[in-house]
Amino acid sequence: MTELKFYGDRPPGIEGRALPGRLIVIEGTDGVGRSTHIALLKEWLEDRGIAVLDTGLTRSELAGPGIKRAKEGNTLDPFTLNLFYATDFWDRLERQIFPALRAGMVALADRYIFSLIARAVIRGVSPEWMEDLYGFALVPDCVIYLDIDVEHLLPRVISSTGFDYWESGQDFLPSTSVFDTFVEYQTWLLDEFRRLASRHEFHVIDARGSVPEIFRAISKQVEEVVAGMGQDAPIVELLEEPSAEAASATLPHLE
Amino acid sequence: MSSYNGQELRGRLFVVEGIDGSGKSTQLDLLHKWLMSQGYLVVFSEWNSSPIVKTTTKRGKKRHLLSPVSFSLIHAADFANRIHAEILPALQAGAIVLADRYVYTAFARDAVRGLSKDWLRRLYSFAVKPSLAFYFDVPLDEAVHRIMEGRPALKFYEAGLDLELADDPEESFRIYQGMIRAEYEQLVKEFDLVRMNATDTLVRQQKQMRELVMPHLKGVMRADGGSIRDTLKEQGLRGRYLLETLRKKQAQA
Repeated sequence: MTELKFYGDRPPGIEGRALPGRLIVIEGTDGVGRSTHIALLKEWLEDRGIAVLDTGLTRSELAGPGIKRAKEGNTLDPFTLNLFYATDFWDRLERQIFPALRAGMVALADRYIFSLIARAVIRGVSPEWMEDLYGFALVPDCVIYLDIDVEHLLPRVISSTGFDYWESGQDFLPSTSVFDTFVEYQTWLLDEFRRLASRHEFHVIDARGSVPEIFRAISKQVEEVVAGMGQDAPIVELLEEPSAEAASATLPHLE
Repeated sequence: MSSYNGQELRGRLFVVEGIDGSGKSTQLDLLHKWLMSQGYLVVFSEWNSSPIVKTTTKRGKKRHLLSPVSFSLIHAADFANRIHAEILPALQAGAIVLADRYVYTAFARDAVRGLSKDWLRRLYSFAVKPSLAFYFDVPLDEAVHRIMEGRPALKFYEAGLDLELADDPEESFRIYQGMIRAEYEQLVKEFDLVRMNATDTLVRQQKQMRELVMPHLKGVMRADGGSIRDTLKEQGLRGRYLLETLRKKQAQA
């Protein structure tokens, strides 16, 4: 079961103390192989009789198209862009992830608040402001972080999508060399990810190896997270209101 | 070794040139597949394909808005975008870049349209110098035959109709391609292009290309070992969501 624990205050409209599903997040920089492993993991889970919802940034019905339009213009200030992303994030949490968890599915999230925090922080937004903003985010059952260095990342980026404007920091780094900005931006971003990894206890997987090696490590971790999904308490019990102590622990501002 | 601003690049740039119907794209495609099968990291870049610029070029061609100067400039803009966003970063990272047409296409076509050759060379001075540039040499009659066989309607600029060489598109095409071919002859000497006999068998041409490319491949970056296919086999999966993922990525790119 997924305990209903939040990074900050419990957001309005969310009830109960736990949900029978599992929230598994795959984090990592662009090109590290997240989407490949998620595609493999989805099938792997379904083969074990577990229903899967997969979701990722900008896939909300509400704000997805708006963000895509805004990014094409390349003109938004970081605060507006981050709040736009936050809108998209909450919409997916509320309308995709919570219902899936309530139904007893595994929700697989391709990136979570951490990518958004890391990207914003290196563009000069304060980390405190970002972490406060995402206080409404549900704490996942597991955050799997695919860790890589720039040297190993380069061939993957070249063989998949090439150098993306935003993923090489061209929106704010002064150099006109895409290669230089890519190396600088990703080095910076990976440092930020590692800071978040230790702060939020990510399950770190070395993603420098081959696809079979990485997937073995991922599926081993997921196996632990989904173990016992059949033996959880029935939904009616999980949805009971949290005890007084638990409520005060998640709602400190109401005291 | 390919170089940029006098600086050696880790990657290698190979270029094909030639008039329409010379078979250069077929040969480059075969080379591309061979290099990939050898585990090399390959990036392909085609003339006139910048995602930012190409719609403007298309609009200009469709509405016949391009004069010789604007024709030259819009193609240079397309090329500059591809150099800075695709070609140069891939070469700096150590990959192989294959270009279907390069600056020599602009040098030939724009010279035919009356632009100064010196000016063109200065305009394109930001280009990366290729490791090898192949020129696919084909007799005019053979090229015209190949094009007319497969493609009945010639486009306005493709046939050089903007040059008012002839009223009949086919006749104009022939004259125009002949003029470009004469320009290429000069370029082969000026830039040491590798002349390929484009009337030779496809198999022999490919063999020759590979032999010429091979000595340049020492120390070039290879792709990671351990494929997705190995994972599928090991885990007993079929990969039913992989295609969808790939498609989304392509749409993104």
